[in-house]
Amino acid sequence: MAELPNTDGPKKKSTGADLIIPVAAIAFTLYYFSTIWNSPWSAQVSAFFVGGVLMVLCAIYFVIFAMQRKNGEADFSLGKVINPVSVIPKRILLFVLTLAYIFVIDWFGFIITTFTFLSLGMLLLSEGKNKKLILSLSATLAIGGYLLFVVAFQRRFPDGPIEKWLKPFWYSTGIWQ
Amino acid sequence: MEVDFSVYGPAFLNTFQYWYVILPAVILGYVVGAIPGFSAANTIIVLLPATLAMGPEIGMIFMVALYASSRMGAGIPAILVNIPGTAGAAATPLDGYPMSQQGKGPQALAISFTSSCIGGLLTSIVVLFVIQYVVMAVYVLHSVEMIVVMLFGISLIGTIAAKEKLKGLIAGFFGLMIGAIGADHVYATPRGTFGFLELYDKIPLIPALVGLFAISEAFILIERGSIMTKEGQQVMRDAKWSEVFEGVRTTFKRIWHVLWTSIIGLVIGVVPGAGAAIAAFVAYQQSQTYSKTPELYGTGHIEGLIAPESANNGVTAGTLVPLLVIGIPGGATAAIMLVVLTYHGVTVGPDLFIDKPNFAYGAFAAMAVTYIIMIFTIFPLARYMSRVTMVPTMYIIPLIISFTLVGSFVPRAYLFDMYLAIAFGVIGYIARKTGYHVAAILIGVILGPLLEQYFVRALKISQGDIMVIFSSNLGNALWVGLLISLLIPIWKEWQKKRSAQKTALEKGEEAERGGTTE
Repeated sequence: MAELPNTDGPKKKSTGADLIIPVAAIAFTLYYFSTIWNSPWSAQVSAFFVGGVLMVLCAIYFVIFAMQRKNGEADFSLGKVINPVSVIPKRILLFVLTLAYIFVIDWFGFIITTFTFLSLGMLLLSEGKNKKLILSLSATLAIGGYLLFVVAFQRRFPDGPIEKWLKPFWYSTGIWQ
Repeated sequence: MEVDFSVYGPAFLNTFQYWYVILPAVILGYVVGAIPGFSAANTIIVLLPATLAMGPEIGMIFMVALYASSRMGAGIPAILVNIPGTAGAAATPLDGYPMSQQGKGPQALAISFTSSCIGGLLTSIVVLFVIQYVVMAVYVLHSVEMIVVMLFGISLIGTIAAKEKLKGLIAGFFGLMIGAIGADHVYATPRGTFGFLELYDKIPLIPALVGLFAISEAFILIERGSIMTKEGQQVMRDAKWSEVFEGVRTTFKRIWHVLWTSIIGLVIGVVPGAGAAIAAFVAYQQSQTYSKTPELYGTGHIEGLIAPESANNGVTAGTLVPLLVIGIPGGATAAIMLVVLTYHGVTVGPDLFIDKPNFAYGAFAAMAVTYIIMIFTIFPLARYMSRVTMVPTMYIIPLIISFTLVGSFVPRAYLFDMYLAIAFGVIGYIARKTGYHVAAILIGVILGPLLEQYFVRALKISQGDIMVIFSSNLGNALWVGLLISLLIPIWKEWQKKRSAQKTALEKGEEAERGGTTE
């Protein structure tokens, strides 16, 4: 698969991808300023100082970028963030899977959701190979994580049907007080 | 405050009691250090639910032991297959890998482990004895000076740690701005919260660090199918005990070299942002400069391996100094330690050494004890432990994502915090891909609220006069230092560019003259 133009070459120093963080920083700073415009000075002083410095730094970066662009040393490509193109589908699918993991964990709880996420994630990255190993590894990690973090260290993880079903058991054994 | 040497004994004895925490952390540290991309920082994040449940003292001992041992583990892939486990081991392959190619892999590992242990142990003990004087010096810092110290810290992290200084500074100040999200201290006015009630109590640090480090790293790791080649594994299979003994003996013969290069690491480690990578390269360069055989460096020279390994372990004790004394983390792992300590309600700063001496000195004692325990693991480690580098990334990535996301849920039990971790993951991913330092962003997020606190305090004292930030002599000296530290790299870069242009021009003229003669 063809790769997008790589930005790390000797001539092209900066790219459009390098502008994402400064542009986001300026947008956020302006939004932040809008939320404190009518606030008392104690709520403004530090933000105006830090935000002011940040905007100056970003402005310097934009000037340098413009000069590099003029000399043919910079372009607006997003290759740095996207490359290598060959892993884009895996990256997008894993991102969607991650969002789904958070979305459903509140209903299905840690064990079921983690097992499903680990299995699907590993199957996706291994391109469907080693199914048995992946399923057993996912089950071990999900149950092991539950036993270590929830049962042993008594941390608050999202509860699902299995966790709710097991709760009385841990109390009855005296492991949980 | 008087220097009280009686605290050291109890601190050491107390730490030895926790050998059952240190030993598993050490083994875990070797494993994660040896797997590129799975650093100590990420492991502490994955194990956050456990670390948060441990209590501050045991949690700190666990993190320190993991940190120190992962530093040593990072040398394994660097020596065997030319892939440093962490950035701190970036100078290790220069002479370690050629040794491995010459069939001296086990010997090189033994040299690396021995110099790491001695270097780390020595610097932890040095810090333990010097830190009281550093603490006394910090007492002269008030709110005005602390503003400059914080800006100094973030600027140093930005300019030293990042490849491009301007990007490093933008990352640091962007982090400070994000850290200012939340209701203000006096009137509770919501600022920059995007309307989310969950952000009124400022940005929760654990989702921020989970996103910036773990989630972003996981999405970058996808690019690497597998970490290790077969050649490195073969070297370890053929290892003999005699080669390991030879490596240890060789290092002890050069003990003076181990000592002074580890002190270089310690001094650089105290500077926020400088980190193990810089320390290792500086030590390597110094070692070569003062060597009688500088031409052998890069060909599998023993001293070329000792220098970076001693130095990057010297950094570990140094990094804890600014963290515990003034609350400015010197690097990513220290920043994560600060998040965990904050969660436990531990206030870092000079008072920590008076109010909780066992805890404060105990952190350095724990490091020393960790290195003592690590000495006993050198022999088996040099033969067997390096096999962990064979773990494929397809199993690691989903594990990092799921366990760290759940870790971000733990402190407040808000699903919102998991989404927040994803948002920081996106920022972290873009930042890593485009050369903006994620540690600088995180440290900015941590220091943001503190900076505001000192600003408001200073302005209250001066009744709103902004010029108060230039009212103290020490503060002004720090401002000048800050300005110089920012200008020197720019001046050096400009000079370098100018000399490169001059050389190119001279070459062009010479070529032109040559052409005319012909």
